[in-house]
Amino acid sequence: MRSRLRVDIVSLASGAVVSALGVLVLLDRAGVVDVSLGWIAVALNAAVGAIFLVSGLGGGPGRHD
Amino acid sequence: MNDETPNIDRSEGNEQPTSPESPDPQGPPPRRLMRSSSDKVFFGVAGGLGRYFGVDPLLFRIAFVISIFFGGLGGLAYGLLAIFVPTDGEPDRAQRAGGRLRRMGFWRALGMAAVAVLAVAGLLALAGSAAFAVAIGWGVPVAIAVIAVGALLVLAAFRGGARWLIAPAVALAIGAGVAAAADLDWSDGIGEREYAPLSAKSIPADGYRLGVGRLAVDLRHLDWNRKRVVRLDVDLGTGQADVFVPAGVCVAGSTHVGIGESEVAGERNDGVDVDHDVGSAAGALPRLELDADVDIGQLRVINSNTASVDNPGYGPGPFHEDTAPLRAAEASACAAG
Repeated sequence: MRSRLRVDIVSLASGAVVSALGVLVLLDRAGVVDVSLGWIAVALNAAVGAIFLVSGLGGGPGRHD
Repeated sequence: MNDETPNIDRSEGNEQPTSPESPDPQGPPPRRLMRSSSDKVFFGVAGGLGRYFGVDPLLFRIAFVISIFFGGLGGLAYGLLAIFVPTDGEPDRAQRAGGRLRRMGFWRALGMAAVAVLAVAGLLALAGSAAFAVAIGWGVPVAIAVIAVGALLVLAAFRGGARWLIAPAVALAIGAGVAAAADLDWSDGIGEREYAPLSAKSIPADGYRLGVGRLAVDLRHLDWNRKRVVRLDVDLGTGQADVFVPAGVCVAGSTHVGIGESEVAGERNDGVDVDHDVGSAAGALPRLELDADVDIGQLRVINSNTASVDNPGYGPGPFHEDTAPLRAAEASACAAG
Protein backbone atom coordinates (compact mmCIF):
# COMPACT_ATOMS: atom_id res chain seq x y z
CA MET A 1 0.00 0.00 0.00
CA ARG A 2 1.38 3.42 -0.93
CA SER A 3 1.79 5.83 2.00
CA ARG A 4 0.58 9.36 1.39
CA LEU A 5 3.06 12.19 2.06
CA ARG A 6 1.82 14.35 4.92
CA VAL A 7 2.58 18.05 4.46
CA ASP A 8 1.80 20.62 7.11
CA ILE A 9 0.66 23.46 4.90
CA VAL A 10 0.98 26.07 7.68
CA SER A 11 4.62 25.22 8.38
CA LEU A 12 5.28 25.15 4.65
CA ALA A 13 3.76 28.57 4.01
CA SER A 14 5.36 30.08 7.12
CA GLY A 15 8.77 28.76 6.12
CA ALA A 16 8.43 30.17 2.62
CA VAL A 17 7.31 33.56 3.95
CA VAL A 18 10.10 33.74 6.56
CA SER A 19 12.69 32.75 3.97
CA ALA A 20 11.39 35.44 1.62
CA LEU A 21 11.76 38.03 4.39
CA GLY A 22 15.29 36.78 5.04
CA VAL A 23 16.14 37.19 1.34
CA LEU A 24 14.75 40.74 1.48
CA VAL A 25 16.96 41.56 4.48
CA LEU A 26 19.96 39.95 2.78
CA LEU A 27 19.44 41.99 -0.40
CA ASP A 28 19.10 45.15 1.67
CA ARG A 29 22.25 44.47 3.65
CA ALA A 30 24.14 43.60 0.47
CA GLY A 31 23.10 46.91 -1.03
CA VAL A 32 21.18 45.35 -3.91
CA VAL A 33 17.90 46.95 -2.85
CA ASP A 34 17.12 49.72 -0.41
CA VAL A 35 14.11 48.65 1.62
CA SER A 36 12.42 51.55 3.37
CA LEU A 37 10.51 51.27 6.62
CA GLY A 38 7.26 51.82 4.75
CA TRP A 39 7.90 48.87 2.46
CA ILE A 40 9.12 46.57 5.24
CA ALA A 41 5.94 47.37 7.16
CA VAL A 42 3.90 46.29 4.15
CA ALA A 43 6.01 43.16 3.68
CA LEU A 44 5.79 42.15 7.34
CA ASN A 45 2.05 42.73 7.48
CA ALA A 46 1.59 40.72 4.30
CA ALA A 47 3.78 37.93 5.69
CA VAL A 48 1.95 37.66 9.00
CA GLY A 49 -1.38 38.00 7.20
CA ALA A 50 -0.48 35.20 4.80
CA ILE A 51 0.42 32.90 7.70
CA PHE A 52 -2.85 33.66 9.48
CA LEU A 53 -4.76 33.20 6.24
CA VAL A 54 -3.25 29.81 5.51
CA SER A 55 -3.69 28.76 9.11
CA GLY A 56 -7.31 29.87 9.15
CA LEU A 57 -8.36 28.63 5.74
CA GLY A 58 -6.86 25.25 5.36
CA GLY A 59 -4.40 24.36 8.01
CA GLY A 60 -6.06 24.39 11.37
CA PRO A 61 -4.46 22.48 14.22
CA GLY A 62 -3.73 18.93 13.29
CA ARG A 63 -4.88 19.31 9.71
CA HIS A 64 -2.48 18.05 7.11
CA ASP A 65 -2.73 17.66 3.35
CA MET B 1 -39.86 50.21 29.08
CA ASN B 2 -42.79 51.68 27.16
CA ASP B 3 -45.65 52.55 29.55
CA GLU B 4 -48.29 51.43 27.05
CA THR B 5 -46.93 47.88 26.85
CA PRO B 6 -49.15 45.55 28.93
CA ASN B 7 -47.41 43.45 31.53
CA ILE B 8 -47.63 39.71 30.90
CA ASP B 9 -47.93 37.25 33.75
CA ARG B 10 -46.16 34.13 32.48
CA SER B 11 -46.32 32.12 35.70
CA GLU B 12 -47.89 28.67 35.57
CA GLY B 13 -48.76 29.01 31.90
CA ASN B 14 -50.88 32.05 32.54
CA GLU B 15 -50.17 34.50 29.73
CA GLN B 16 -52.94 36.98 30.53
CA PRO B 17 -52.02 40.62 30.56
CA THR B 18 -51.95 42.20 33.99
CA SER B 19 -52.57 45.79 34.79
CA PRO B 20 -49.57 48.03 35.35
CA GLU B 21 -50.81 48.72 38.85
CA SER B 22 -50.89 45.05 39.96
CA PRO B 23 -47.82 44.56 42.20
CA ASP B 24 -45.45 41.66 41.50
CA PRO B 25 -45.15 39.76 44.78
CA GLN B 26 -41.63 38.57 43.88
CA GLY B 27 -40.47 42.04 42.74
CA PRO B 28 -38.63 42.65 39.51
CA PRO B 29 -35.89 40.12 38.72
CA PRO B 30 -32.40 41.45 39.43
CA ARG B 31 -30.81 42.99 36.39
CA ARG B 32 -27.89 40.90 35.27
CA LEU B 33 -25.15 41.76 32.80
CA MET B 34 -25.10 39.18 30.02
CA ARG B 35 -23.58 39.21 26.59
CA SER B 36 -26.11 39.51 23.81
CA SER B 37 -26.51 36.58 21.46
CA SER B 38 -28.74 38.54 19.09
CA ASP B 39 -27.00 41.92 18.90
CA LYS B 40 -23.38 41.05 18.41
CA VAL B 41 -20.42 41.71 16.15
CA PHE B 42 -17.86 39.47 17.85
CA PHE B 43 -18.96 38.15 21.24
CA GLY B 44 -21.92 40.41 22.02
CA VAL B 45 -20.12 42.36 24.76
CA ALA B 46 -21.18 45.78 23.47
CA GLY B 47 -24.71 44.52 22.82
CA GLY B 48 -24.98 43.23 26.40
CA LEU B 49 -23.52 46.43 27.88
CA GLY B 50 -25.89 48.55 25.80
CA ARG B 51 -28.88 46.53 27.01
CA TYR B 52 -27.70 46.58 30.62
CA PHE B 53 -27.18 50.35 30.71
CA GLY B 54 -30.07 51.14 28.36
CA VAL B 55 -27.97 52.91 25.72
CA ASP B 56 -27.15 52.26 22.09
CA PRO B 57 -24.53 49.45 21.89
CA LEU B 58 -22.87 51.40 19.09
CA LEU B 59 -21.50 53.77 21.73
CA PHE B 60 -19.69 50.89 23.45
CA ARG B 61 -18.44 49.57 20.10
CA ILE B 62 -16.96 52.96 19.22
CA ALA B 63 -15.45 53.26 22.72
CA PHE B 64 -13.83 49.82 22.43
CA VAL B 65 -12.36 50.59 19.01
CA ILE B 66 -11.03 53.99 20.09
CA SER B 67 -9.55 52.62 23.32
CA ILE B 68 -7.58 50.03 21.36
CA PHE B 69 -5.55 52.88 19.88
CA PHE B 70 -4.79 54.30 23.34
CA GLY B 71 -2.86 51.54 24.99
CA GLY B 72 -5.06 48.61 24.03
CA LEU B 73 -6.89 48.48 27.35
CA GLY B 74 -10.23 48.36 25.55
CA GLY B 75 -9.20 45.18 23.74
CA LEU B 76 -8.12 43.61 27.03
CA ALA B 77 -11.36 44.65 28.72
CA TYR B 78 -13.39 43.28 25.80
CA GLY B 79 -11.54 39.96 26.00
CA LEU B 80 -12.07 39.64 29.74
CA LEU B 81 -15.76 40.53 29.44
CA ALA B 82 -16.17 38.04 26.60
CA ILE B 83 -14.64 35.27 28.72
CA PHE B 84 -16.17 35.99 32.11
CA VAL B 85 -19.60 37.43 31.28
CA PRO B 86 -22.05 34.69 30.24
CA THR B 87 -24.06 34.93 27.07
CA ASP B 88 -27.88 34.95 27.03
CA GLY B 89 -27.92 32.30 24.30
CA GLU B 90 -26.17 29.00 23.72
CA PRO B 91 -22.73 28.87 25.42
CA ASP B 92 -20.20 30.04 22.84
CA ARG B 93 -16.46 29.59 22.53
CA ALA B 94 -15.66 32.47 24.90
CA GLN B 95 -18.00 31.14 27.58
CA ARG B 96 -16.53 27.66 27.30
CA ALA B 97 -13.03 29.19 27.64
CA GLY B 98 -14.21 31.08 30.74
CA GLY B 99 -15.63 27.88 32.18
CA ARG B 100 -12.35 26.07 31.60
CA LEU B 101 -10.47 28.92 33.32
CA ARG B 102 -12.83 28.76 36.31
CA ARG B 103 -12.42 25.00 36.58
CA MET B 104 -8.68 25.38 36.26
CA GLY B 105 -8.45 27.45 39.41
CA PHE B 106 -6.90 30.82 40.14
CA TRP B 107 -3.28 29.82 40.65
CA ARG B 108 -3.13 27.58 37.65
CA ALA B 109 -4.70 30.26 35.45
CA LEU B 110 -2.24 32.77 36.87
CA GLY B 111 0.60 30.38 36.04
CA MET B 112 -0.63 30.01 32.48
CA ALA B 113 -0.89 33.79 32.16
CA ALA B 114 2.67 34.11 33.45
CA VAL B 115 3.85 31.55 30.89
CA ALA B 116 2.07 33.49 28.14
CA VAL B 117 3.67 36.75 29.27
CA LEU B 118 7.08 35.07 29.36
CA ALA B 119 6.52 33.66 25.88
CA VAL B 120 5.66 37.11 24.52
CA ALA B 121 8.66 38.59 26.33
CA GLY B 122 10.85 35.88 24.82
CA LEU B 123 9.62 36.65 21.32
CA LEU B 124 10.22 40.36 21.88
CA ALA B 125 13.72 39.59 23.15
CA LEU B 126 14.38 37.46 20.08
CA ALA B 127 13.20 40.24 17.76
CA GLY B 128 15.27 42.76 19.72
CA SER B 129 18.35 40.54 19.55
CA ALA B 130 18.00 40.21 15.79
CA ALA B 131 17.60 43.99 15.46
CA PHE B 132 20.62 44.56 17.71
CA ALA B 133 22.74 42.15 15.68
CA VAL B 134 21.78 43.94 12.45
CA ALA B 135 22.46 47.32 14.07
CA ILE B 136 26.01 46.37 15.08
CA GLY B 137 26.86 45.20 11.58
CA TRP B 138 25.85 41.54 11.53
CA GLY B 139 23.11 42.08 9.00
CA VAL B 140 24.21 39.46 6.49
CA PRO B 141 24.68 36.63 9.03
CA VAL B 142 21.32 37.45 10.59
CA ALA B 143 19.64 37.44 7.17
CA ILE B 144 21.19 34.06 6.41
CA ALA B 145 19.97 32.78 9.79
CA VAL B 146 16.43 33.95 8.97
CA ILE B 147 16.56 32.18 5.60
CA ALA B 148 17.89 29.04 7.28
CA VAL B 149 15.10 29.01 9.87
CA GLY B 150 12.56 29.48 7.07
CA ALA B 151 14.09 26.60 5.14
CA LEU B 152 13.99 24.48 8.31
CA LEU B 153 10.26 25.19 8.60
CA VAL B 154 9.74 24.17 4.97
CA LEU B 155 11.64 20.92 5.51
CA ALA B 156 9.80 20.26 8.75
CA ALA B 157 6.49 20.70 6.91
CA PHE B 158 7.14 17.41 5.12
CA ARG B 159 7.76 15.64 8.42
CA GLY B 160 4.58 16.61 10.20
CA GLY B 161 5.37 20.30 10.67
CA ALA B 162 7.04 22.38 13.34
CA ARG B 163 4.46 25.00 14.20
CA TRP B 164 6.19 25.84 17.49
CA LEU B 165 8.96 27.33 15.35
CA ILE B 166 6.70 29.72 13.43
CA ALA B 167 6.43 32.44 16.09
CA PRO B 168 10.18 32.56 16.85
CA ALA B 169 10.97 32.58 13.12
CA VAL B 170 8.56 35.44 12.46
CA ALA B 171 9.93 37.36 15.48
CA LEU B 172 13.45 36.91 14.13
CA ALA B 173 12.39 38.11 10.68
CA ILE B 174 10.51 41.12 12.08
CA GLY B 175 13.47 42.26 14.19
CA ALA B 176 15.95 41.85 11.36
CA GLY B 177 13.62 43.39 8.79
CA VAL B 178 12.81 46.51 10.79
CA ALA B 179 16.45 47.09 11.76
CA ALA B 180 17.60 46.62 8.17
CA ALA B 181 14.92 48.89 6.74
CA ALA B 182 15.67 51.56 9.32
CA ASP B 183 19.37 51.25 8.41
CA LEU B 184 20.12 50.99 12.10
CA ASP B 185 23.81 51.51 12.66
CA TRP B 186 25.06 51.36 16.22
CA SER B 187 28.64 50.56 15.28
CA ASP B 188 29.70 54.20 15.81
CA GLY B 189 29.51 54.06 19.55
CA ILE B 190 27.10 54.79 22.37
CA GLY B 191 26.92 57.87 24.55
CA GLU B 192 26.68 61.62 24.41
CA ARG B 193 28.93 63.57 22.09
CA GLU B 194 29.19 67.32 21.81
CA TYR B 195 31.29 68.99 19.15
CA ALA B 196 31.95 72.71 18.83
CA PRO B 197 34.48 73.13 16.00
CA LEU B 198 36.30 76.46 15.93
CA SER B 199 37.14 76.28 12.24
CA ALA B 200 35.61 74.61 9.22
CA LYS B 201 38.84 72.68 8.66
CA SER B 202 38.42 70.89 11.96
CA ILE B 203 35.14 69.36 10.84
CA PRO B 204 35.83 65.74 9.79
CA ALA B 205 35.40 65.11 6.06
CA ASP B 206 32.92 62.31 6.77
CA GLY B 207 31.13 64.41 9.36
CA TYR B 208 30.05 63.44 12.83
CA ARG B 209 28.66 60.00 13.60
CA LEU B 210 27.19 58.27 16.62
CA GLY B 211 25.50 54.90 17.08
CA VAL B 212 23.20 55.49 20.04
CA GLY B 213 22.77 58.56 22.21
CA ARG B 214 22.85 62.31 21.77
CA LEU B 215 25.00 64.00 19.18
CA ALA B 216 25.28 67.79 19.40
CA VAL B 217 27.23 69.85 16.87
CA ASP B 218 27.53 73.54 17.64
CA LEU B 219 28.68 75.50 14.60
CA ARG B 220 28.16 78.91 16.16
CA HIS B 221 31.87 79.33 16.96
CA LEU B 222 32.89 79.25 13.31
CA ASP B 223 33.89 82.46 11.57
CA TRP B 224 31.02 82.51 9.10
CA ASN B 225 32.31 85.73 7.52
CA ARG B 226 35.51 84.00 6.43
CA LYS B 227 34.09 80.59 5.52
CA ARG B 228 30.86 81.35 3.77
CA VAL B 229 29.78 77.79 2.92
CA VAL B 230 30.21 74.90 5.35
CA ARG B 231 29.38 71.30 4.50
CA LEU B 232 28.36 68.98 7.31
CA ASP B 233 27.43 65.31 7.46
CA VAL B 234 25.62 64.04 10.54
CA ASP B 235 24.81 60.37 10.97
CA LEU B 236 23.03 59.03 14.06
CA GLY B 237 21.68 55.52 14.63
CA THR B 238 19.25 56.02 17.48
CA GLY B 239 18.75 59.03 19.67
CA GLN B 240 18.86 62.77 19.27
CA ALA B 241 20.99 64.81 16.91
CA ASP B 242 21.18 68.57 17.38
CA VAL B 243 22.95 70.99 15.04
CA PHE B 244 23.28 74.63 16.08
CA VAL B 245 23.97 77.45 13.65
CA PRO B 246 23.76 81.23 14.00
CA ALA B 247 20.44 82.79 13.12
CA GLY B 248 21.97 84.53 10.11
CA VAL B 249 23.07 81.30 8.41
CA CYS B 250 20.91 79.74 5.69
CA VAL B 251 20.44 76.01 6.34
CA ALA B 252 20.34 74.05 3.06
CA GLY B 253 20.62 70.40 2.12
CA SER B 254 18.65 67.28 2.91
CA THR B 255 17.77 65.39 6.03
CA HIS B 256 16.32 61.95 6.64
CA VAL B 257 14.77 60.45 9.76
CA GLY B 258 13.79 56.78 9.58
CA ILE B 259 11.33 56.85 12.48
CA GLY B 260 10.83 59.95 14.52
CA GLU B 261 10.86 63.68 14.12
CA SER B 262 12.88 66.28 12.30
CA GLU B 263 12.79 69.94 13.18
CA VAL B 264 14.97 71.82 10.78
CA ALA B 265 15.13 75.60 11.15
CA GLY B 266 11.68 75.60 12.66
CA GLU B 267 10.08 73.24 10.11
CA ARG B 268 8.72 70.24 11.98
CA ASN B 269 7.92 66.86 10.43
CA ASP B 270 7.43 63.49 12.02
CA GLY B 271 6.52 59.93 11.17
CA VAL B 272 8.22 57.18 9.21
CA ASP B 273 10.82 57.91 6.52
CA VAL B 274 10.77 61.64 7.12
CA ASP B 275 12.71 63.29 4.29
CA HIS B 276 13.24 66.99 4.25
CA ASP B 277 14.88 69.17 1.60
CA VAL B 278 16.02 72.31 3.31
CA GLY B 279 16.79 75.80 2.03
CA SER B 280 15.42 76.86 -1.30
CA ALA B 281 18.13 79.44 -2.07
CA ALA B 282 21.26 77.55 -3.10
CA GLY B 283 23.22 80.79 -3.55
CA ALA B 284 22.49 82.27 -0.15
CA LEU B 285 25.51 83.21 1.98
CA PRO B 286 26.57 82.27 4.59
CA ARG B 287 25.19 78.81 4.17
CA LEU B 288 25.31 75.43 5.88
CA GLU B 289 25.01 72.53 3.45
CA LEU B 290 23.72 69.75 5.63
CA ASP B 291 23.40 66.04 4.97
CA ALA B 292 21.84 64.53 8.10
CA ASP B 293 20.57 61.01 8.68
CA VAL B 294 18.91 59.76 11.87
CA ASP B 295 17.66 56.16 11.86
CA ILE B 296 15.37 56.36 14.88
CA GLY B 297 14.89 59.45 16.98
CA GLN B 298 14.95 63.17 16.58
CA LEU B 299 16.91 65.56 14.43
CA ARG B 300 16.94 69.25 15.31
CA VAL B 301 18.71 71.98 13.38
CA ILE B 302 18.43 75.08 15.52
CA ASN B 303 19.31 78.39 13.90
CA SER B 304 19.43 80.51 17.02
CA ASN B 305 22.16 82.61 18.58
CA THR B 306 20.89 82.07 22.09
CA ALA B 307 19.63 78.47 22.32
CA SER B 308 21.48 76.40 24.90
CA VAL B 309 23.28 73.28 23.69
CA ASP B 310 22.21 71.29 26.73
CA ASN B 311 18.60 72.43 26.73
CA PRO B 312 17.70 74.23 23.52
CA GLY B 313 14.02 74.47 24.38
CA TYR B 314 12.82 73.33 20.98
CA GLY B 315 11.24 70.03 20.05
CA PRO B 316 7.92 68.25 20.52
CA GLY B 317 5.47 69.07 23.26
CA PRO B 318 3.39 72.01 24.38
CA PHE B 319 5.99 73.51 26.74
CA HIS B 320 8.60 74.23 24.13
CA GLU B 321 9.59 77.40 22.37
CA ASP B 322 7.63 78.66 19.42
CA THR B 323 9.57 77.83 16.27
CA ALA B 324 8.24 80.81 14.31
CA PRO B 325 11.38 82.90 15.02
CA LEU B 326 13.53 80.05 13.63
CA ARG B 327 11.46 79.92 10.45
CA ALA B 328 11.63 83.70 10.09
CA ALA B 329 15.42 83.66 10.60
CA GLU B 330 15.79 80.88 8.00
CA ALA B 331 13.67 82.76 5.48
CA SER B 332 15.67 85.94 6.03
CA ALA B 333 19.05 84.17 5.88
CA CYS B 334 18.19 82.21 2.75
CA ALA B 335 16.91 85.35 1.03
CA ALA B 336 20.24 87.11 1.59
CA GLY B 337 23.08 86.32 -0.74
